[in-house]
Amino acid sequence: MSQLQPTIELAPVLPPARRARVRVPGWLLMLLRNPKSRAGLVVLGFMVIVALIAPLISVSDPTAFSLVDARQAPSWHHLFGTTDQGSDIFSQVVMGARRSLMLGAASGALATLIAATLGILAAYSGGIVDDAINFLTNVFLVIPTIPLLVVASSYLTSRDMKSMILFLALTLWAFEARILRGQALSLRNRDFVLAAKVAGESTWRIVFGELVPNMISRIAAGFVLVFYISLLVDAGLEFLGLGDTTHVSWGMTLYWAQTNSAVLQGEWWPFLFPGLALVLTVLGLTLILAGIDEVSNPRLRDEVRVRRRLLRGLVLPLRRAA
Amino acid sequence: MTPILEVRALSKQFRSGGVLHPSRLHAVDDVSFALTPGRITALAGESGSGKSTVAKLILRLLESTGGELVFDGRDVTRQRRRRGMLEYRSQVQMIFQDPFGSLNPAKTVRHHLARPLRVHGIAGRRDVGVRVEALLEVVGLVPARKFADAYPHELSGGQRQRVAIARALAVNPKVVIADEPISMLDVSIRAGILNLMRDLKELGIAFLYVTHDLASARYVADDILVMYAGQIVEQGPVDEVLASPLHPYTRLLIASVPDGERTLEPIEIRKGTAAAAVDPPPGCRFVDRCPLAIDVCGRETPELVETEPDRIARCHVTAPRQREDQLHAQPAA
Amino acid sequence: MTLTLDVRPDVVEAGASPVVALQDLVVDYVSRLRTTRAVDGVSLSIGAGEIVGLAGESGCGKSTLGNAVMQVLRPPARISSGRVLFDGKDVAGHSRSELRRYRWRNVSMVFQSAMNSLNPVMRVGDQFVDMMRAHERVSKKDALVRAGELLELVGIDRRRLRAYPHQLSGGMRQRVVIGMALALRPELVIMDEPTTALDVVVQREILQQVRELQAELGFAVLFITHDLSLLLEIAHRIAIMYAGEIVEEAPAASLRTDARHPYTVGLLGSFPPLHGPIERLTGIPGAPPDLSAPPSGCRFHPRCQYCTGEDVALHARQVGERPKLQVVSPGHRVACHRETP
Repeated sequence: MSQLQPTIELAPVLPPARRARVRVPGWLLMLLRNPKSRAGLVVLGFMVIVALIAPLISVSDPTAFSLVDARQAPSWHHLFGTTDQGSDIFSQVVMGARRSLMLGAASGALATLIAATLGILAAYSGGIVDDAINFLTNVFLVIPTIPLLVVASSYLTSRDMKSMILFLALTLWAFEARILRGQALSLRNRDFVLAAKVAGESTWRIVFGELVPNMISRIAAGFVLVFYISLLVDAGLEFLGLGDTTHVSWGMTLYWAQTNSAVLQGEWWPFLFPGLALVLTVLGLTLILAGIDEVSNPRLRDEVRVRRRLLRGLVLPLRRAA
Repeated sequence: MTPILEVRALSKQFRSGGVLHPSRLHAVDDVSFALTPGRITALAGESGSGKSTVAKLILRLLESTGGELVFDGRDVTRQRRRRGMLEYRSQVQMIFQDPFGSLNPAKTVRHHLARPLRVHGIAGRRDVGVRVEALLEVVGLVPARKFADAYPHELSGGQRQRVAIARALAVNPKVVIADEPISMLDVSIRAGILNLMRDLKELGIAFLYVTHDLASARYVADDILVMYAGQIVEQGPVDEVLASPLHPYTRLLIASVPDGERTLEPIEIRKGTAAAAVDPPPGCRFVDRCPLAIDVCGRETPELVETEPDRIARCHVTAPRQREDQLHAQPAA
Repeated sequence: MTLTLDVRPDVVEAGASPVVALQDLVVDYVSRLRTTRAVDGVSLSIGAGEIVGLAGESGCGKSTLGNAVMQVLRPPARISSGRVLFDGKDVAGHSRSELRRYRWRNVSMVFQSAMNSLNPVMRVGDQFVDMMRAHERVSKKDALVRAGELLELVGIDRRRLRAYPHQLSGGMRQRVVIGMALALRPELVIMDEPTTALDVVVQREILQQVRELQAELGFAVLFITHDLSLLLEIAHRIAIMYAGEIVEEAPAASLRTDARHPYTVGLLGSFPPLHGPIERLTGIPGAPPDLSAPPSGCRFHPRCQYCTGEDVALHARQVGERPKLQVVSPGHRVACHRETP
């Protein structure tokens, strides 16, 4: 078949060969370069490290009672103070980080997996498959998350993390599925998908091999979104008293603080620190989300740059005047 | 030579309008032609003529609502089984219009060429690399190794289109359908792609060149089919059709092409809405815009008539029924 | 309305005072990583009532040039140096209100997918009224009357004022946009690929329309396109743009028979002929350069068949020195080292 002479000698118009010294994934580099996601990654990274070393820096049993140390304000001995039962809040917060992060990541991953598979399949297959999946999605969309969890938790015997993860994933996948279906629909009629079909690729290979790689940023954003929603929902449920009282988590610490009227007693530390941990984690995730947005939409990048320059133009004269 | 692909009375109707006012769009109506190995057939028409739909029907990306598709003697119109489809897909390939859109931005050139080789079992894991580079050389992308590792956004439009052509050739197809392969390329790059297509004829492939550009059709193709509102209105060897067109629409097309040298006499073009292929009434679909229209044109749909050997047109005025009878009535010498 | 196809317009002498004149215009796209010079020292003048064609392939900077004349460049693009003169005055010095007047009253623009820039949820008539009232103090009633006149001017039935854009065909939408561009009787209309997305028959109708309107109303046109064969038919004068520069400029008739720049010759040889003998097309090997790092000297030299190195002195100039536009015959300028001994 190579009997033909090349018709035109073309000088390849390629950039110089990429120097692959350290194999840092491209997406990580992009996120690190963007200031918003860089900040988010730092914050989240900090929380992850804290969670990882938690057993090393906390007391052996964060829920241990010690009436002697009860209701103590933050001090060198108890960095975040103690609860009304004498438990060390610092330990509770750092150990609680483990649960929260694992829960968020797991439910995010599961929800995203379901949403991506169903949403993209629906978009690509069309017809009956699409209708069936849409129906399923609508059913799950209508279910209100928190009331369902409230009702379910009263029926569930075990409120362990696995059930929470499952419940959160099942209630949160539908929203993402709808969005991913929309994006896949717009990609479906692009020529490269048709070309894959013409080349004889099977449906599954097209969904995972052609569509998913082009939707990574949206899927990643969905994952981060479910992550922090799970965090908040879980903490919220525990705060309402529906969590497992033996757990060590931010929500439970807040719950105990609430039931023991800590605020009325002027004790701000049982609220502040777990609340701060929660806020910080969610902030980190939100910043990463904003960064993903900016990185995937080049137009946003330029506008942000212009805005920053304008801002600098405003701030500098003010500084000089001051 | 015997044709490798025959399209017989192919039709495609789309239903639209909803429950209260249902209407049918006759996107493709009674289209018949044949593709022969080693020949390039141009399918010319404007947007809405149905030419892209014909391409998709041949590729089985759409299901026809009437007619037959016969490939290598076998009827493949209703073929649904995976193995049968896979075999068909390995023989009939397509080159798309948008050189960037037809390549997956997240995958290398190597991936694009290797996949068809693997899917159709043409190359095992060991020789895929060699095959990929051989293909790149055929389409003129040298040095092959550098191009194989590139991503689509690193290539120019013309280079991407060559990759698309290489991908189509990977499976040694018998039929290649090129849907406006050069319309999105820069003018100076088009020549290279057109020349490549001409050269690939020697491989014995049957090409269908779908286009709205008559000049490139003339350069590249042997035969031409002109479509209007879903129907074929003229058919024949490309030079003859363009030199002495029969159908008024073909004349209109030729006269509209921007041409530095105006050698044809000016003809009168009457303006009117394009005859909708939506629930078309009986009669010629070009009647509202035709300067030659006579009474019967509004009442009776003209048939395709062969006025001279290989010259077919659908027009009551320029290709009336009697001419065909005369043609066939001539006694053999 | 019947259309007749006729031959090219007669050559028009550019008036002594051009409507718009570009002097050494430089436009850059500035980003953190690199600066890309899209327009590099372009001088061009457009006389009253003249149709000037600007031909070039993708990435040559022609659209950027059009936007610069229209003063609608958005960051990261900016005019780094050079001037855009309208009626002798530098547009850059205009105040905001003067700039608003400039845009659309003096110079208006028709974009490539202009038919998609019509608001899909507003009736056509309302869009005309909106546009007119943004520039003039006129009542809604009067504006609608004017809109109806404009529609008839571009060959559309007045009753279509009440239509929504999706109810019109692509060609009609483009004509609506042309009508809007003419609403305030500008002296110059910039058309950037106005017919590329349209079928060849509709394209012919639109071009015919533009020529008639131009003859009747006397506005100048800057016609930007990649289709040189179109310009050969419709333009009085044609400028060829490559890699941000104008490499050749000539009356349309001269360009066809006497093109001097190798790029122009290559372009002309890229169009397969509709009639006459068929020879193997050569096209132009290679690809347009990356404007953030253009070739040294003559930007076309990597692709030029005359850059062989045989003549050492010539070769040195070709790779080292940027050629300047020089007059080779009346009205005909070329930027090529081969023209200067």
